[in-house]
Amino acid sequence: MDGAIIGEHVLRCCGLRRSFGKLVAVDGVGFHIDPGETYGLLGPNGAGKTTTISMIAGLLERDAGEVTVAGEPMTTHSVRAKSALGYVPQDLAIYPDLSGRENLMFFARLYGMPTAEARRRSEEVLALTGLTDRAGDQTKQYSGGMKRRLNIGIGLLHRPRLLILDEPTVGVDPQSRNAILESVEGLSGAGMAVLYTTHYMEEAERLCDRIGIIDHGKLIAEGTRAELVSMVGEGDQVRLAATGDLASAADGLAARSWVRQARALDGSIDLVVDKARSELPAILTDVAAAGATVRSVEVTEPDLEAVFLHLTGRALRD
Amino acid sequence: MRAAWLICAKDLKARLRDRSALLIGIVVPLGLAFIFNAIFSGISGGSDVISLGVVNADHGAASQQFTSQVLPAVGRSGLISIHAEPSLARGRALAANGTLAAVIVIPAGFSARVQAGQPASMQVIGNVDAPVSAEIARSIAESYAADLNRIRLSVATVAGTTTLPPARVQALAAQAAAAAAPVAVTDVSAQTRELNQKSFFAAGMAVFFLFFTVQFGVTSLLEERNDGTLARLLAAPISRASILGGKLLTSFLLGVISMAVLVAATTLLFGATWGNPVGVTVLVVTAIMAATGIMALIATLARNAEQAANWQSVVAVILGLIGGTFFPISQAPGVLSSITFVAPQAWFLRGLGDLRGGGVSVVWVPALAMLGFAAVTGGLALFRLRRLAEV
Amino acid sequence: MKALWIALMNLHRMFRARTNIFFVFVFPLVLILVLGATFGGSSSPRLGVVSTGSGPLGAALLRQFEQTPHLRVVTVSDPATLLTQVERGNLAAGVIIPPGYDGAVRAGQDTMLRYLARPDQSSQQLGETVRGAVARQAALLGAARFAVEQHVAPGFDAGLAAASRIAPSVPQVSVTQTAAGTTLFSRTLGQFDEGAWTELLLFLFLTAMTGSVALIETRRLGLSRRMLATPTSPATIITGETLGRVLISCVQALVIILGSALLFGVNWGQPAGVAAVVIVFALVAAGAGVFVGTLFRNEQQAIGISLLLGLGLGALGGCMVPLEVFSPTMRQVAHITPQAWGNDAFAKLVGHGASITGILPQLGVLAAYAVVLLALAAWRLRHVLSA
Repeated sequence: MDGAIIGEHVLRCCGLRRSFGKLVAVDGVGFHIDPGETYGLLGPNGAGKTTTISMIAGLLERDAGEVTVAGEPMTTHSVRAKSALGYVPQDLAIYPDLSGRENLMFFARLYGMPTAEARRRSEEVLALTGLTDRAGDQTKQYSGGMKRRLNIGIGLLHRPRLLILDEPTVGVDPQSRNAILESVEGLSGAGMAVLYTTHYMEEAERLCDRIGIIDHGKLIAEGTRAELVSMVGEGDQVRLAATGDLASAADGLAARSWVRQARALDGSIDLVVDKARSELPAILTDVAAAGATVRSVEVTEPDLEAVFLHLTGRALRD
Repeated sequence: MRAAWLICAKDLKARLRDRSALLIGIVVPLGLAFIFNAIFSGISGGSDVISLGVVNADHGAASQQFTSQVLPAVGRSGLISIHAEPSLARGRALAANGTLAAVIVIPAGFSARVQAGQPASMQVIGNVDAPVSAEIARSIAESYAADLNRIRLSVATVAGTTTLPPARVQALAAQAAAAAAPVAVTDVSAQTRELNQKSFFAAGMAVFFLFFTVQFGVTSLLEERNDGTLARLLAAPISRASILGGKLLTSFLLGVISMAVLVAATTLLFGATWGNPVGVTVLVVTAIMAATGIMALIATLARNAEQAANWQSVVAVILGLIGGTFFPISQAPGVLSSITFVAPQAWFLRGLGDLRGGGVSVVWVPALAMLGFAAVTGGLALFRLRRLAEV
Repeated sequence: MKALWIALMNLHRMFRARTNIFFVFVFPLVLILVLGATFGGSSSPRLGVVSTGSGPLGAALLRQFEQTPHLRVVTVSDPATLLTQVERGNLAAGVIIPPGYDGAVRAGQDTMLRYLARPDQSSQQLGETVRGAVARQAALLGAARFAVEQHVAPGFDAGLAAASRIAPSVPQVSVTQTAAGTTLFSRTLGQFDEGAWTELLLFLFLTAMTGSVALIETRRLGLSRRMLATPTSPATIITGETLGRVLISCVQALVIILGSALLFGVNWGQPAGVAAVVIVFALVAAGAGVFVGTLFRNEQQAIGISLLLGLGLGALGGCMVPLEVFSPTMRQVAHITPQAWGNDAFAKLVGHGASITGILPQLGVLAAYAVVLLALAAWRLRHVLSA
């Protein structure tokens, strides 16, 4: 990214706080995002994700806390900070009576681009989102997927340092959802910093370099996927469908240091181990040595849902 | 303010495509003006020449004087046309079917009786549905009769209780006739400071629908909030003032386009006369500002775009009625003619009316009044809009 | 029965919106009130008279004006106000009896009254009426002055007294007046009557037109298709929707008729006749409204067209400017509209005290309109529902 000073955060926020009447929606949230990094804000519905985003994007006044975008302080009036930030709201925010091109031209000029540059950039975004053919049609005639692509495209027009995507896949069909995820991957691959909020664990796992878990307005955990998962300390689950003397096979396995649990059931052996993938050959050898035959192997590693459950005692998805 | 213009341009583009703004702002008022024009082009009666008939069955001196001197003098002004009718039956028939507003009948023997100092009478037969014109006919006859009576009374007063010889009576009568009437009426023309019917309907229709046309601007702010695009505007590097300014500007420009087209179209197509261009421009611009302010304020009080539109329509209709855009309400009795000035429409129409009779300077008072409406309501609206522009 | 349910649901939805209550019920009544108050009273022209300082003779002249039939006299305090009122059209014309009029006449001077009129004809024609009234008083004053000139009376007052004494015994030249022709209305109309029936017809049609928007909304919300998915035949749905409009119109008419009768003392004529006109006209309006509702997909455009048709046809049909003022050609054109036939029917019911048999021709024409419009509406609605 141009002009980035090594070590300068693209986004830094701390102590964010906002109440609506008696309800405290966001309570002391703070994190940072480095250039090129994709940061995920993961939490159930009502956790305070959108409120946090709104404060970061300068849409909502903060009760307390600081936000700095690309070194510029962010308030509801900041022009410089907002210029560095691209915003893709959860609901489709495009004008139905204008064509795709007109939508892009309008926002490009609103972001301060002179007309020639705005035109050039609009065509680039149209090509990027695959909408060049339908650019002249009014967006009310677009399919749902096309509208979503335009919605994201508008956020990219002014080449922001940080792109904020607020739950972009809610209510979207699997095909379009996949397309969206791929484009976000492409963006971060090209070096753009992305702040991505979602309540879908798979998306966070797939896209994000680091993840912040938010619940009831508080950031309760933060880190890479591996770091978060290790918090749980559960170990991996292994299920072997087998025949033969399962009981002795299970006993033999239980003796291993890296096996936490071993159970023989009717037709299968259930294990809880550390690092299942690397120890799998040893497991199979032991079972064969005990005289049992393995039909199939199933390995389940703990996921972010488990992390959330571990931290809060509730499910991520209601 | 660059951003405000960008937002305004975007809104105008969308609105003009939408066609509903075009319908309400131009097509409907123009269509109605056309219909009213057609109706009023063929209006009969009212401001037309009054047709009076005269049936002279007498042909004596007194009746001749009436028909050859008094009546022509009346007819010279061009306001009343006199038609001599051959018979009473014909005269009555024409009065009955409305061809003539009234017929003045001088029966046979009238002059003789006048000469002899006996009671005499003229008859007026008026059309039953033209009482005002019939009364005018009667007054013409009455004026003549009163003059004859004046001569009689003058002679009688001088004579007192004595009976004078006929020669003396003749001489006195001649002297009395020669004397000038003690009271005369001289005409002073007043200006016309009211719009003619055609222009009234053009102006009334235009200013009535103006209050609907300007709704499209600020109400769209509520729609954008609903649709989610307001969030994008707030996230963009522009000031909140420019968002609000852009919306108000949209209302204003829609009003300008609508009024410009209506003024031009009604003038060119229907022959409506709006008046001095400078005066009309001042009045139109301040009216648009007043309308924008009032409708914007209502929009800020509503929860969503639909509610805003409903309330705005109610207020626009009430103000239109009170302001006299449907029909001139200043002639109404009592409180109705005073509360008319609560509506900016009344000031607009008053300004146009005064402009007909005077120079451009007469528009300052109505223009300032409408500016006042705009300032107060617009200011309140901006104050409330600040809170509205929060996601 | 299902059709009735659909109809009642329409009625219920209409009542839900408070602004509907205003436009459907309150505003028509308000308009009837304002119309009647402004125009329903006497149609005699208003003459402003300034007579301050004009003395007893001036007061006598003012009384002369007040006694003139078909003239409404308004006393005005000063000439400047009089001029403004005349110029603005609030007064048809004005007369200024100058201060010192009394003294001037008694002194034997020729006095002038100023008559203020606008350049338009009706304002100036009224001058003749003023001259007539003035002439009547001038007779007495002239005789008094003549007596003084002939040295029969020592002073004006004596002359006036002598003239007044002898006046009753002097044979008069008089003017008698009769009327010819048939009146437009054989019954005298109440102040609010004509406004009431014209506005009723205007608003019945206008409400049915703008109510067509509700039909579009039903389509847009996908409710029509939902209705079709139930075991309800399209015919029932069509009947139901149309019946809904008719019900709304009938309720509206009931409120306006009863409301205006109770509040403003409006006379509506024979109940059977009124009911017949209202029901047939409601059918016409419903047919028109449903038909227009099927032509549009966009609410905003539908509202615009509805306003244009509702107000335009209403104006053309004599609901804003009464038909009797139209020229003969325009009156014929007006009868393209159902409103004109409705106005004719009411004019007969109220203005001539006709019964239902007297308005059968008008009812027949309206019924024909209703049949055609309802058929068109049903055809279009069927077409739309199956799309």
